[in-house]
Amino acid sequence: MNEHHAIAPTLSSQDIEPTGIPVQGGHISALTSESRSNVEKDDASLAIEVIGVTKEFDGGAVRALNGMDLRVERGEFIAIMGPSGCGKSTLLHLLAALDSPTSGTIRVEGQDLSHLPDPSRYRRQTIGLVFQLHNLLPRLSALANIEVAMMGSHRPHRERTVWARQLLSELDLADRERRHPPQLSGGERQRVAIARALANDPPVLLVDEPTGNLDSDASANVLALFARLQREYGVTTVMVTHDPAVAQAAGRILQMRDGRIGDPIGA
Amino acid sequence: MSTIVLLLSNIWAKKARSFGLAFAVALAVMTVVVLTVVSSGLESSAAAILKIGKSDFTVAQKNVSDILFSYLDTHQLAEVRATKGVANAVGALIETERINAANPLFLEIGLPLDELTPFGVHVLAGRPYSANATHEVMLGWRAAEDMGLHVGDGFYANGTKNTIVGIYSTGISFGDLGAIFPLSAVQAYNRVPGAVTLVFVKVAPGYRIGEVEKHITYAHPELTTIRTATQFGRADRNLVFLKAAATGSTILAVVIGAIVVGNTMMLSLFERTREFGLLRAIGWTRTRVVSLLLGEGMVLAVVGAAVGVGLSYLVTSILQALPQLAGVLHSNYTSEAFWRGLYTGLGMTILGTLYPALRAGFLAPLQALSHE
Repeated sequence: MNEHHAIAPTLSSQDIEPTGIPVQGGHISALTSESRSNVEKDDASLAIEVIGVTKEFDGGAVRALNGMDLRVERGEFIAIMGPSGCGKSTLLHLLAALDSPTSGTIRVEGQDLSHLPDPSRYRRQTIGLVFQLHNLLPRLSALANIEVAMMGSHRPHRERTVWARQLLSELDLADRERRHPPQLSGGERQRVAIARALANDPPVLLVDEPTGNLDSDASANVLALFARLQREYGVTTVMVTHDPAVAQAAGRILQMRDGRIGDPIGA
Repeated sequence: MSTIVLLLSNIWAKKARSFGLAFAVALAVMTVVVLTVVSSGLESSAAAILKIGKSDFTVAQKNVSDILFSYLDTHQLAEVRATKGVANAVGALIETERINAANPLFLEIGLPLDELTPFGVHVLAGRPYSANATHEVMLGWRAAEDMGLHVGDGFYANGTKNTIVGIYSTGISFGDLGAIFPLSAVQAYNRVPGAVTLVFVKVAPGYRIGEVEKHITYAHPELTTIRTATQFGRADRNLVFLKAAATGSTILAVVIGAIVVGNTMMLSLFERTREFGLLRAIGWTRTRVVSLLLGEGMVLAVVGAAVGVGLSYLVTSILQALPQLAGVLHSNYTSEAFWRGLYTGLGMTILGTLYPALRAGFLAPLQALSHE
């Protein structure tokens, strides 16, 4: 595991391939197609590269993404804002390899998502997904919900348990490991979901409306957590939200409109 | 948490459904085991007839519905005796009769007086019957003990009262549970003069049993030879039909069970679609999702098979206790019955679970996650 996103260094040496690349820190290169050619970044520093991606539904009747371009450097925390139906979630699904673009290229951590030999492995090792609804399995304890994500990672199950405990401890949930999701508060559930997303120590975190169902205190805690993950462990985080207050937690905020990224807000 | 713990917790989470599925497997397994045990018991009982007489093999009429319907005349008996390599051939007329509720299929053997010794009959008490006696009988020592009868007592059989003149032993428990009459008396009662049911053949030293069997069946295509229980079907078609019925019932149980299991697992698939979508979204492979569902089915199959075998003991005991079946139904628990039960449980579960499991594995994660 590399030092930039090691949450529990003592456990992480086996499964995560080190990138060996220092975090570039803080600034975002989200470009329109027009300006892209003017600002070329070193490809090795990019965690995510979206080039001319179009996504159509219903045989082309609906175009969710319209020749979209986006570059995110390693260790960045970006927020993508936009109204409902602007294509935010579609973008996240494409980045998670849960769907494929109609045209264009997406690269995450150097992997071309159109030519992934094993999408499951990509989802397990390269990205962590945090859903709006926590999507925890209600019959499993908080600890087991995290361990489930590690099944298939070749970690022995004892080691999975130790690692999941450390994640819970890191997220101030050590005393909640035996509790099942219905016994947890909304904020605690979302933190367990974040712990699950981090279970395989992914370099990229994809977050969809993480505070949609939380009160303001819980929202603030969760957002502070993302900021901390980015700051202390260099996890590249892409968060989509429609809430400007939530977006403020990110290092850079991008506005999506008509299936494209607009100019950075405040740029 | 290990995969097996996850699997068990999934099963435990839906207790009623898991119980229902395991019970369906148990019922199918029970049916199969009971049928196998009963048909095997009947086969053993029927084949026990062959063991009395201490012969190398038995000759019977081919393809009769019941071996006791086999019919060989005096001429055929003489030709079997004259076959090269035959040291001795004892013709016996065998029938069963209802003596009382405890003995609904009492074995009665008609043998000529001079064939008692070659047939392996040892007189334990009293004397052998007279050559042409019409109302004399020898009782097997087990039958005498069971019925509390002794030499000199009366014994109602073949439509008349006979006097027990002797108690015998053949060394074969099945034979010692019956009675032996003079052959002519049994032939007269059944109006089949000169006929015998089976011929018990002893091969002369220096001859191969198989060769002698071939000589007989070549010369008499209407006859067959039986050496083992598995060859019994050559003569007794009922047993063949019974075994075929048991096999057919097994297949039917597997098919019906697979439909029940499949239906339950499909319901589970629809209920857990979102869960499978989530697992795929967080990196589970298709194979792992398929294995999870198959594994859950396998655990329930093994539990169901174990319960089914237990139930089969219970059901067989109840059937044997029924007055209508007392003395007729003999259970014969063989390893084949247990293996067949296990195969049935696993077979129906694999058949029933495979399609839902594959459906779960091939769900598109996004659509599955949006499933309500």
